[in-house]
Amino acid sequence: MDAAEVEFLAEKELVTIIPNFSLDKIYLIGGDLGPFNPGLPVQVPLWLAINLKQRQKCRLLPPEWMDVEKLEEIRDHERKEETFTPMPSLHYMELTKLLLNHASDNIPKADEIRTLIKDVWDTRIAKLRVSADSFVRQQEAHAKLDNLTLMEINTSGAFLTQALNHMYKLRTNLQPSDSSQSQDL
Amino acid sequence: MFVSDFRKEFYEVLQSQRVLLFVASDVDALCACKILQALFQCDHVQYTLVPVSGWQELETAFLEHKEQFHYFILINCGANVDLLDILQPDEDTVFFVCDTHRPVNVVNVYNDAQIKLLIKQDDDLEVPAYDDIFRDEEEDKEHSGNESDEGSEPSEKRARVEEEIAEQTLKRRKRRDWEARRRDILFDYEQYEYHGTSSAMVMFDLAWMMSKDLSDMLWWAIVGLTDQWVQDKITQMKYVTDVGILQRHVSRHNHRHEDEEHALSVDCMRISFEYDLRLALYQHWSLHDSLCNTCYTAARFKLWSLHGQKRLQEFLADVGLPLKQVKQKFQSMDVSLKENLREMIEESANKFGMKDMRIQTFSIHFGFKHKFLASDVVFATMSLMESPEKDGSGTDNFIQALDSLSRNQVSGLRPVMEPCACHVSGGTWTSCIAAWSSPSSSCVPHSRPSPAASAPTSSFPRGPSSTAPSWRARQTLCCSPGQLP
Repeated sequence: MDAAEVEFLAEKELVTIIPNFSLDKIYLIGGDLGPFNPGLPVQVPLWLAINLKQRQKCRLLPPEWMDVEKLEEIRDHERKEETFTPMPSLHYMELTKLLLNHASDNIPKADEIRTLIKDVWDTRIAKLRVSADSFVRQQEAHAKLDNLTLMEINTSGAFLTQALNHMYKLRTNLQPSDSSQSQDL
Repeated sequence: MFVSDFRKEFYEVLQSQRVLLFVASDVDALCACKILQALFQCDHVQYTLVPVSGWQELETAFLEHKEQFHYFILINCGANVDLLDILQPDEDTVFFVCDTHRPVNVVNVYNDAQIKLLIKQDDDLEVPAYDDIFRDEEEDKEHSGNESDEGSEPSEKRARVEEEIAEQTLKRRKRRDWEARRRDILFDYEQYEYHGTSSAMVMFDLAWMMSKDLSDMLWWAIVGLTDQWVQDKITQMKYVTDVGILQRHVSRHNHRHEDEEHALSVDCMRISFEYDLRLALYQHWSLHDSLCNTCYTAARFKLWSLHGQKRLQEFLADVGLPLKQVKQKFQSMDVSLKENLREMIEESANKFGMKDMRIQTFSIHFGFKHKFLASDVVFATMSLMESPEKDGSGTDNFIQALDSLSRNQVSGLRPVMEPCACHVSGGTWTSCIAAWSSPSSSCVPHSRPSPAASAPTSSFPRGPSSTAPSWRARQTLCCSPGQLP
């Protein structure tokens, strides 16, 4: 899967906006989007929120977890634990990126949030690398990873599976060469 | 006809229509065009953009497109000539003209149906009254016709004929007087050409009325106004008045963001008011180069003569700047020298007869690296538009310059490297300015505008037979409503 595809899937997440126009309820295939009244917050999918923000028709409200203190707690918790801790949102990375790129004026302390999310991401990817390394070394057959988000899986998943395939090929080629004899010249 | 309510009579008319934008080739028009494009993109208005650089191009483009469009917007072209005469449009075509050229042609002012002028009426326009210029020609003929039908008896008829003759000579004399007065009035009205309020500011006002003004648009309005001042199109008084208006907007924008307790992200664009030196691009070149290449100082010092160059050295000695420091890049000058630079230079400049060394202007900064004065942006954009690339066409330059104005958004942090004819990366104004790191470098001989030689003539003078600079191919761009900035 492409990172772009993962981002596309992440755009279905709901965020809160405050529109400055009014519109009746609209009925889409994926669900209904409530009536829009200026000044009243309403929940919409992220793709619509970003589009409206670019057309200057709304103001975005940051999600609850996008707050400096909460993110600091999450980061410290992540650093302490050896396994992965549950993240506030399954698509935290994509949400942060989209919101901070398009609506950083609506999100307070955007720079610090960016740094904190990057810290959390780095910690989790490092844990992923360590666990992949130990998996390969000890030649385990089965591993269980909880609380990984799709973006993290996608970052390392393709490489990991291809590498494991290669190693399997190399390992299975080792056995017949034990019994084969080298040619004497 | 002057449009009084911009929003109702101009913008809302266009919301469901396709429009054609004719934009002249100067920085003010470019900025106005950017603001209008941003508004159109918000509201999904379909438009086609045609850059024009002279009357010939305007006419050719109009002939090409006149069947497809009913609404035409002309930016910085067309107010000072009789548009209907030159373009010969159909009955239902409507022109919206937002132009700084004055005086506005009287036919454009008094035509109600087809020509709408997006010009503020509190500009000092002094348009002559309608009755002084136009007059119904049919009245005279009717009167003489009626009078000759009446009258049956010969004696009465003779008396009447004498009366008629007297009346007619009186009328003819009145008519001749009226025509002489009309000629005088029109002569006074049209003898001097000048420029009015910047089109970019007019468009920004429209955006403000609709509460859609962003900091970006405010910055473009500032650049448009500074362009008019840099090219000496408006007086110092008018510039200062307009700067005051824009300063109110700037403080409104800054307060809007300071309401929150937390500061804005560093990446956001910030505009601030400055009372800075009027040396061109001095923060990106060296101080010495900037002094030599700014119109104002070069002329005052008379730098083309040996005596003038000595005066420049005296001036620098008076300010207290060592020559070695002054000749290296401004950013690498000693910090101790840079601290009170502006005040020191202003003091010495007063002694040398340059009273207006400092002017009120604005600067923009975003990110950690990019800080520009409005005049820097004006010079950079002008040079992008005028750079004579061998393989590019006039339109390409226009589009490149248009793009460079929008780089101050997030994408400005990703400099786009496009090789220009001299193999120096240029494309954004950051890299463009870096490319002229020393104006005497042999690498960039043509694409630098010599600020000392910028002539204030516009490419849309009133005589429609003047030759426009010859661009080679010309293309038009169609923008569908699906494109977002």
